[in-house]
Amino acid sequence: MSDTIISRHRPLSLLAALILAQVLLLAFQIKRENNVRLVRYWTVQTLTPVERAGTWSFSRIGGLWSSYIGLRNARTENARLQKELDELRMRNRELESQAAEGQRLASLLNFRNAHPEASMLAAEVIGASADPTSHTLFINRGERDHVRRNLAVITPEGIVGKIVEVFPTSSQVLLINDRDSGVGALFAGTRTHGVVKGSGDPNPRMDYIVNDEKVQAGDKILTSGEDHIFPKDLPIGKVESAKAATPFQLISIAPAARLDRLEDVLVLLTQQELTPKKTEEAPPQNTPNPAAANSQPATAPHAHN
Amino acid sequence: MDTMLSAGARSESNIEVHKYYSGAVPLVCFLALVLQAFLHKYGRFAELVDLPLLVTIYFGVSRRNPVSGMFLGAAIGIAQDALSHDNPIGMYGIAKTCVGYVASSVGARIDTEHPISRFGLIFILFHFHQVVLSITERALLAHNMPMFTLRLLLDSVVTAGVGVVLFALLDRLRRRQ
Repeated sequence: MSDTIISRHRPLSLLAALILAQVLLLAFQIKRENNVRLVRYWTVQTLTPVERAGTWSFSRIGGLWSSYIGLRNARTENARLQKELDELRMRNRELESQAAEGQRLASLLNFRNAHPEASMLAAEVIGASADPTSHTLFINRGERDHVRRNLAVITPEGIVGKIVEVFPTSSQVLLINDRDSGVGALFAGTRTHGVVKGSGDPNPRMDYIVNDEKVQAGDKILTSGEDHIFPKDLPIGKVESAKAATPFQLISIAPAARLDRLEDVLVLLTQQELTPKKTEEAPPQNTPNPAAANSQPATAPHAHN
Repeated sequence: MDTMLSAGARSESNIEVHKYYSGAVPLVCFLALVLQAFLHKYGRFAELVDLPLLVTIYFGVSRRNPVSGMFLGAAIGIAQDALSHDNPIGMYGIAKTCVGYVASSVGARIDTEHPISRFGLIFILFHFHQVVLSITERALLAHNMPMFTLRLLLDSVVTAGVGVVLFALLDRLRRRQ
């Protein structure tokens, strides 16, 4: 049937195909604002609402499904009690979830209040990359919220990554453990500089540290500010293991931020250094590392070697 | 005028499909593009005439095959895009593909040998070309390109006038059957 229609309208079908081919050719050439190719712009604009709806639906459907299963298996003789128990459990789960969310948001708010001089924006993680080898995620803030490329994305625990693509209502964040990521870093204790690079694994690596440098598991690593993206002295993570190799040591880092369980993040709208003015947990007076002090008070500048 | 009326009333099967000497079509298209690019050096007068558009219309109307008309239009349009320094390839391609298709379809239904009918056809297809170009620019490049201005009206009249003369010259390339 469809063959007949196509053969009957062959010139029209060819016209449509020829125009479509040229539109696609144009879409591959044209770049919109922020240097984003039109075809990529279309794709992301099509997919992000679906991802956003998916996140919303899963949380709702998950709740409905668990309540349905819980009630379906209840015995008739203790239906009322079972139902009450289920409701209490569900309420408990909701409260736990709300408490966890409240804790997370309070932590973000405290961090933000502790650094009133820095302009920052809270954002929610709405999706991640479809490519398993790429460590990126999408947040619900974009061009309309004044987000730009190369802005730092952090949590109170440590740095997360940087903005690589900006769309009207969303942005793509390149995580510090992505292969393409590189962050200027230094050891909190010795102030030795290096570069934290993604390796494609969950843990990034610290490069360019010579074998003579004493590095131990647990040594804290901070941003050096040399990349002009992350402000100086923000926590990156701790050394998990260090092995001598040629020409530099192989140093694996456990990131300070939980990169695999991110829900809320902060986008730093400026690249100025963060200095505390009022903190809820007053750090020691000799702490030169205010950002680190917020999550790892007092001990941040001290190294183990 | 009688010729026009009688031509319009003829059935599709009675309309003659013209053949050209081998190599004439690509050569004329090539020359139109070269001449257009060459004349652009000499000021605004050359901008009044769109030679590649005239060639697309002429061969579309004469050969009366929508498929070859649209492919010829696409090839000429893409070449024209490639010759301009700031046009993404495909802008003129899409517009001339549509013009080639419409010209061939019109050519297959009515006879367009009379100078007045040729003038009218070129005038209409010039504005059709501009509308397609404008829609493509607005949709893909977010540029506010006008669909109609007095300058475009002047361009279309000049192009149609030049087209009537050019078509008469191109008729000499037809192979006699």
